Amino acid sequence: MRSSAVDKGLRTGVVFGIVIVTMFLIGFTVTGAGLVGKIFGVQSSYSTPPLVFFSIFMILVGAWAGVTASPRPLLEADTWNRALLAGGSSGAVSGLFSAIIGFLFGELNSNRIDPRTYLPSVSPESIKMFLFDQTPFIGSLLMFALMTGSGLAAAALSFYLRNNGAVRSSLRKASESVWDSIRSERVSNIIQNKYTRYASLLAFAAILIILPRTWGGYWNYVFGTVGIYIILGLGLNIITGWAGQLVIGYVAFFAVGAYTFALLTAPEPHHLMMNFWVALGLGVLAAAISGLLIGLPILNLRGDYLAIVTLGFAEIIRILLKSDLMTPYTAGPRGIRDIAGPTILGKSFISDVDFMYLIIIAVLVVTFLANRLQNSRTGKAWYAINLDETVARATGINAFASKLLALSLSAAVAGLAGVLFASRNQFTGPDDHALMVSINVICLVIVGGIGNIPGIFLGAFALKGLPEILRETENYRLLIFGVLLIVMMRLRPEGFLPAKRPELEKASVQNPLGKEA
Amino acid sequence: MSTCIETKQVSKIFGGLTAVNSVDVVVPENIIASIIGPNGAGKTTLFNCISGYYIPEHGQIEFYGMPIQGQPTYRVAALGIARTYQNIRLFGDMTAIENVMVGQYPRFKAGWVDAVLSTRREREEEKQAIEEGRRLLKFVGLEGLGDNLARNLPYGAQRRLEIARALANKPRLLLLDEPTAGMNPQETGKMTHFIRNLRDELGITILLIEHDMRVVMDISDQITVLDYGTKIAEGKPKSIQSNQRVIEAYLGPDVTSLTKKYQLRKKQRYDAKS
Repeated sequence: MRSSAVDKGLRTGVVFGIVIVTMFLIGFTVTGAGLVGKIFGVQSSYSTPPLVFFSIFMILVGAWAGVTASPRPLLEADTWNRALLAGGSSGAVSGLFSAIIGFLFGELNSNRIDPRTYLPSVSPESIKMFLFDQTPFIGSLLMFALMTGSGLAAAALSFYLRNNGAVRSSLRKASESVWDSIRSERVSNIIQNKYTRYASLLAFAAILIILPRTWGGYWNYVFGTVGIYIILGLGLNIITGWAGQLVIGYVAFFAVGAYTFALLTAPEPHHLMMNFWVALGLGVLAAAISGLLIGLPILNLRGDYLAIVTLGFAEIIRILLKSDLMTPYTAGPRGIRDIAGPTILGKSFISDVDFMYLIIIAVLVVTFLANRLQNSRTGKAWYAINLDETVARATGINAFASKLLALSLSAAVAGLAGVLFASRNQFTGPDDHALMVSINVICLVIVGGIGNIPGIFLGAFALKGLPEILRETENYRLLIFGVLLIVMMRLRPEGFLPAKRPELEKASVQNPLGKEA
Repeated sequence: MSTCIETKQVSKIFGGLTAVNSVDVVVPENIIASIIGPNGAGKTTLFNCISGYYIPEHGQIEFYGMPIQGQPTYRVAALGIARTYQNIRLFGDMTAIENVMVGQYPRFKAGWVDAVLSTRREREEEKQAIEEGRRLLKFVGLEGLGDNLARNLPYGAQRRLEIARALANKPRLLLLDEPTAGMNPQETGKMTHFIRNLRDELGITILLIEHDMRVVMDISDQITVLDYGTKIAEGKPKSIQSNQRVIEAYLGPDVTSLTKKYQLRKKQRYDAKS
């Protein structure tokens, strides 16, 4: 029995060991230490972060290894011995891996061999930090001891928390009392009170009004981008999340919106100089029409043709915009400059705060639209097509027309995002419309929760907001995207916030959709 | 009594295989008609021709005198032909009541603009759809289960939900593809009773494919037998039971009755032993 605990510890240790070695080789140990430093309020973007943060980072990794290896109460016997053996062996094995890699690179470094020729992220500083500023031998011993110790400590701590009656019962009591108070009539009366709802809406509105004014240009820019991606996500969700038709080249409609708007308002190359609002409408319309035209020949086919055709369409648009052929009409690879900003009664509003407001309003409008559509007759028809197109047809749904509608609405929303994007930057060029935009949008929809509006908000914040906040991780963004997608597919294939179906049978007749009166 | 559905010389050919070969079926209004036949006889193919999934190569299908062959499936459905499937095909990730509401799709008009603006039409229709959904769930005996996801319902309930979805469009003809498949005798008895109720209470014409002979003989007013795509017999249950060609199709040639087949097999076994 005891050997099985060690066995599990060894296996977990190997996995964590490989993770640590990989992190070291791609330079993530430095980034991780920097992130820890950031939590403590120490910025160290361009220098190696202090050793103490690196130690904390490694202790956290070791603790994670220890907790992962420790027994699961319902499946395995949970005793002190087993917990310590598993946690300790896990920490020790991962420590061994770290020690070996540290010692090897330490020796290389002291023999003046620079590994950066092959591994550009392994700088002498990072090696020095990995060895705690000691000689390779002592450093790797320290590393081994640190990992083993943190694995043991974490396993012991988690065992204690699992099995100590006092801690457990007090935790349970606390959570129960919180739940009870949430469920109690008084609280639910307060929550469901009309005025409380107005007050919370008011508070929410106040935050949305005050925040852009106070937090400065940088955050307005970051959250403006997040907002634009929320709009894109909500749009893609219509055709991909609800109607179930994968669109890979979603950026094409974004580009059509942005370029239509740009060409209509910029002084060059056409000098049309149209009013912002008229051009906005035309940009959205142009995107919707392009969606309609793309959909017409292919949407009565089934399967992934739409994905492939839109992928091709997106690339064609980007390459056309770059080509010499189109240069007289679209300004070619240089892009279009001096795109108009919004004006109201001749007064122009182009500060970052104004744009943030504009984007917030657009997000609210699109959310409202999506929310209304979601459970409507049309929305149900989309979802029926998504789940079983053959049967949907036999229940009287014109699948072709429904899909076409979904695609053009989706394209129109992308067009709106494109207009906002071009107008905010006052510039748009072919490189703004690379395929990466589509992939980002697909990722955020999948990670957030496909088909679910709050999920898309979460996805946009996680995938576009967090990387800006955690600037240190910039280089690893694609890696993290990939890992995140794989992990999501394994653990929560329906996304962080999966879509839920409304309870219509129970809902009262007066208020059929459960909407606010 | 007018004719509900009539197939005239309908043929469906897949490559070299003639799945349905010049089949004539006439189903008068307000009866329960069955199509039987061995596996691969073309029963489901005929269903698929009627409901518009397949376009027959030859022949005509008339629904109350109106030719419907070659029409898109959704239009056939909107005309009032609803169906269920051999292997249950519900919208599994929707709730039961939503399945029924999707079934009502052609009865309503509200489009996406109505939905966005939440117009009066949208709200009225939504209310009606939910009420009708509740009523239908109650009718098929699924009251109170409406907010469960369809795929979480037990097997028998899924069968009944599929019928509720088919009924939602107030069809005049209901095509049931093996409604009692996979059911125990008790459930089968209930389903038989239920199907008869549909005809009696709602006045719906029912055309069904079924393998359970007890069910077929019990509820059918008219039976059509298909074998290798051709119609080999048609008539009342009594006449089908004693029809020589039907017995041959099911049991093989040189057999006049099931008893004889049984005796034959017994004799063979006896010979083998001795």
